[in-house]
Amino acid sequence: MMAAPRTLFWLLSGSLLGCGGLTPPQAHSPPPSAGVNSSLHADAPTALRVFSVDYHHVQAPFEIVLWIMLASLAKLGFHWSGRVPAVVPESCVLIMVGLLVGGVIYGVRHSAPPTLSADSFFLFLLPPIVLDAGYFLPGRLFFENLGTILWYAVLGTFWNVLGIGLSLYGVCLLAPSSLGDISLLHCLLFGSLIAAVDPVAVLSVYQEMQVNEQLHILVFGESLLNDAVTVVLYKLFESFLRLPSVSGLDVLLGMCRVVVVGLGGLFLGLFFGLLAALTSRFTSRAQVIAPLFVFLYSYLSYLTSEMLHLSGITAIVTCAVTMKQYVEANVSEHSNTSIQYFLKMWSSVSETLIFIFLGVSTIQDVHMWSWPFVCSTLLLCLFWRATGVLLLTPVVNKLRRNAVTFRDQFIIAYGGLRGAICFSLVFLIDDFPKKRLFITTTIVVILFTVFVQGMTIKPLVELLDVKRKKKTLPTVSEEIHTRFMDHLMAGMEDVVGYWGQHFWKDKFEQFNKKYLRRFLIREDQQAHSILRVYQELERRGQRGDDGAPSVVDPCPPSRPLLPEEMDSIRRILSRNLHSFNKKQTRAYSRHSLHQDVPTNRARKPLHRHQSVGGRYTCNATTPQEDDERLCDSLRGRAGLSRSHTVCSRSSRRTLSDSLASTESQTQSQPENPKPEPDRTSSDQQEKAPKKHLSFNLENEKQQ
Amino acid sequence: MSVQMKQRGSGGGASKSRDLLQVTAQRSRQDSPPPPAGQPLPPLSVRAGEDNLRGGGGGRMGSGSSSLKHIPDGQQLMEETGFSAAHLLRLHERFDFLDKDGRGHLRPEDFEEIRELTENPIGGRIIAAFFPPEKERLDFPSFVRILAHFRPIGKNRSRDRAQPEQANSRTGKLKFAFELYDQDRDGKISREELLQVLRAMLGLQVTEEQLRSIAERAVQEADIDGDGAISFDEFKKSLEKVDMEHKMNIRFLK
Repeated sequence: MMAAPRTLFWLLSGSLLGCGGLTPPQAHSPPPSAGVNSSLHADAPTALRVFSVDYHHVQAPFEIVLWIMLASLAKLGFHWSGRVPAVVPESCVLIMVGLLVGGVIYGVRHSAPPTLSADSFFLFLLPPIVLDAGYFLPGRLFFENLGTILWYAVLGTFWNVLGIGLSLYGVCLLAPSSLGDISLLHCLLFGSLIAAVDPVAVLSVYQEMQVNEQLHILVFGESLLNDAVTVVLYKLFESFLRLPSVSGLDVLLGMCRVVVVGLGGLFLGLFFGLLAALTSRFTSRAQVIAPLFVFLYSYLSYLTSEMLHLSGITAIVTCAVTMKQYVEANVSEHSNTSIQYFLKMWSSVSETLIFIFLGVSTIQDVHMWSWPFVCSTLLLCLFWRATGVLLLTPVVNKLRRNAVTFRDQFIIAYGGLRGAICFSLVFLIDDFPKKRLFITTTIVVILFTVFVQGMTIKPLVELLDVKRKKKTLPTVSEEIHTRFMDHLMAGMEDVVGYWGQHFWKDKFEQFNKKYLRRFLIREDQQAHSILRVYQELERRGQRGDDGAPSVVDPCPPSRPLLPEEMDSIRRILSRNLHSFNKKQTRAYSRHSLHQDVPTNRARKPLHRHQSVGGRYTCNATTPQEDDERLCDSLRGRAGLSRSHTVCSRSSRRTLSDSLASTESQTQSQPENPKPEPDRTSSDQQEKAPKKHLSFNLENEKQQ
Repeated sequence: MSVQMKQRGSGGGASKSRDLLQVTAQRSRQDSPPPPAGQPLPPLSVRAGEDNLRGGGGGRMGSGSSSLKHIPDGQQLMEETGFSAAHLLRLHERFDFLDKDGRGHLRPEDFEEIRELTENPIGGRIIAAFFPPEKERLDFPSFVRILAHFRPIGKNRSRDRAQPEQANSRTGKLKFAFELYDQDRDGKISREELLQVLRAMLGLQVTEEQLRSIAERAVQEADIDGDGAISFDEFKKSLEKVDMEHKMNIRFLK
């Protein structure tokens, strides 16, 4: 059954390819358009042509559309192809398609297929990807783990770059005959570009694995910042190369430049982000163009920083993070959805196009091969990344509440797939004799990491989990109590204000509340009465009911449990207690806005909304001073949920000041209202709904 | 900042003379043989100097007059709980920060201001643990006494061994955790209480039957005397393999 769509897809792409393959020759030869057209017209001087083909008129957009169409169809085919997405990362499949296309074009035209120019990559294809990553960054998690992320991204990248660069230079010195003309600077340049890691590609394989939120944000944040650092270093080394000679002063200036570039990008991003937030305040009368401002301002920040030779990636990420909370508060529901969908769409298309072009560009006759260089690069990449992670982690573990376990370290180190940035940076190098060698090596490294590492990481991690579990099987009590302790310690540290972290965060929140929100958010959006009530009741409920004895349930007779039950208990505990804050976040996904949580789970909290909404009609009194605080805390949560779901937002937007309408709204929320399959169990849980209120939002968050 | 100053001013003004008396009393006591608590306290002047350095560096909100004199019963608290002066100052700053109205004591609402705590599955229990059943006010000494449970067990083992019932011993820590489970304070964790905690932690992801069977299994594993509930000794025994001492520590800014 799966074969049919797949064959259909291949046929379709093949036919598109045929058209595409035939047309490019005209792209590269000097356009004879004038001559051809005039001759066509000359052939039929008097009769009117009923049917004519004028390709050159639409050539450029036509080709672009064809490529995008190919990329999208490949993506579609990939997701239709059954078990493949679970085993093979999407990037693999896209590269294979690209190879196929490249091969076809090469076969048809007997010359190199078109390649992607580095400019179009950096100006058109990269910004959507980075913007998407920045916009959907879970803000609070990111800032909580910012130290660790910076540690891995900045220090780790420096370690990798210097390590790979210097050891490659060593290899070149060892083989002077073939590699003698590669200077140290070139090696460093190559090291800087090959260290750019794109682990997000790997995360798509993890949909079924347990990626706890800590690992997720570490990997995610590291990949973002790592890209920024890599590009900065690359440009630095490139400018060194252009200097006649490099002195110590130049190195010092270079380091200053790195700092300036980074901070400059940051401030530029902040500036544009605040501007965007301010503009979005006034879009209530023209809601349709509100999403446009998000994209325009972000892109503008990127272009401006590129113009000033600052870090464009940092700028666009900062811009997205800054404007997100204000824009979401200001614009309408539909605009928010549009923004998110467009972001996902563009980044998806960009990424797909990049990988396809990667495949296509592999089929070239410009390759230069050198066994020692290529093999040593591969080994060194793995080696330096592994040692970097292993060395950096113990230091950071001392300062963290939740240690980065060995399993996490393995995932971070082994999951360092190279991707598009390496690929385009290598094309940007100024021409020198061994440039082709660099290109070949880069392509080989990318292919190796994407295919070999990408496909083997999941089985290896599962092996690691199994081995780890075999050694220590904690009892159920131990697991429960340990997790209880974790929550307790988290709470205590929040009370004590662990490490002064909360000091800065609280300061910022106060500043935010007093000045920024008043300035940047529309007046009528600053307080939401219905959610005030909800929050307050929930928190009162949580505090009060926890002490009250629960409903008397008949005690089940105590009997020894069967081993199958024991196994299932262990499985439940390991799956659900695994993530520290009980949030089982799905890995960041380029394909979907809604995380693909099973539908019965999605409907449970909605059902509970209804039962809960009915109970609170009488308790609608709230102290006035709680407004801001509640809104903030809700916003903090809603901010995360916003990234991943559409449903929860409608409950915020469309509420009026009565709880009755809440009920009707939440009842109309589910897009496909099917009968609740496990009504019995949720009826049971209805008895103690108050306790679950805080988890409603949590669960919606994880959707 | 102004709140803090007010607090210090009002507290300090009233009891400043008393503090000075106490301080001088302490100082005179120190010249005598070391106190039975076994805590080697250097002369107070040196301590105060240390405080000024540490207090100023540790708390960015410090107003500069960061000496132990402003904390009522500071010396006594130090001895009782084992916190160092710097830690005590830091806790005092945090207390002042949480006490937004400058009342001098905390109410449950102040704890609920801490956003992360409200999102914690057992946040409600933690807040309730700070406030004994009838009282709705928490003053600074009580605050510190509860937090003393989480002081790291020091390297200086001899000090702690002298007082096995000290708050931050392993027993003390486990007792605190036990009381969080045991909401009705009958000295046992019943199946129901365990079920409540499980529900809070696992929440929506697990069905009621599964929760019940997990709680059942946990009680079975720990229950030695067969009364269907977990007493404190059984609780301790079930956790003997777990390194609780290092888990239940708050790491302070050094």
